Amino acid sequence: MNEILLLIFGGIAVIGALYTGISKDPYHKLIAIGLLAGAVMPLLIDRGYVDIAAALALILPLSTIFLLQLFHRGSP
Amino acid sequence: MNMTPEFIIGVIILIIGTIISAFPGRRDYLSRLINLEIPAFGLLLIALSFDETLALLTFIAVSTLSTFVMVLVIERTEDPV
Repeated sequence: MNEILLLIFGGIAVIGALYTGISKDPYHKLIAIGLLAGAVMPLLIDRGYVDIAAALALILPLSTIFLLQLFHRGSP
Repeated sequence: MNMTPEFIIGVIILIIGTIISAFPGRRDYLSRLINLEIPAFGLLLIALSFDETLALLTFIAVSTLSTFVMVLVIERTEDPV
């Protein structure tokens, strides 16, 4: 892949990781996890693992749905 | 050992995620569980740099499964703090 694109996607992934840690609201954290996953996706496809990218795109929302079950308990 | 860009980004995210998971901003179970997803993505990128298809698929599946188990455990605790 073009090095500039690689740098951009790596930067987006690091920003997503940092924002997940910094943000206090759990909803913001989930959105930041989505940002991190979205940055990882082009890196997977660049190596030729389109099948794994499709599997990740299917499995990751499942993880989000599981986490959303905890949200109705409210912040302790 | 070849230092591919995926490996370097993965190590950076792994270190960031480990520090954030160890010292979270909010010390409740939900925030800690969401923070645990960050080092998982770092490890995913490191596995990607080694070109192991089966390891990648297994790791994605197992990390989601472990999230499900942790959600079940946290739901059954009386005091979620």
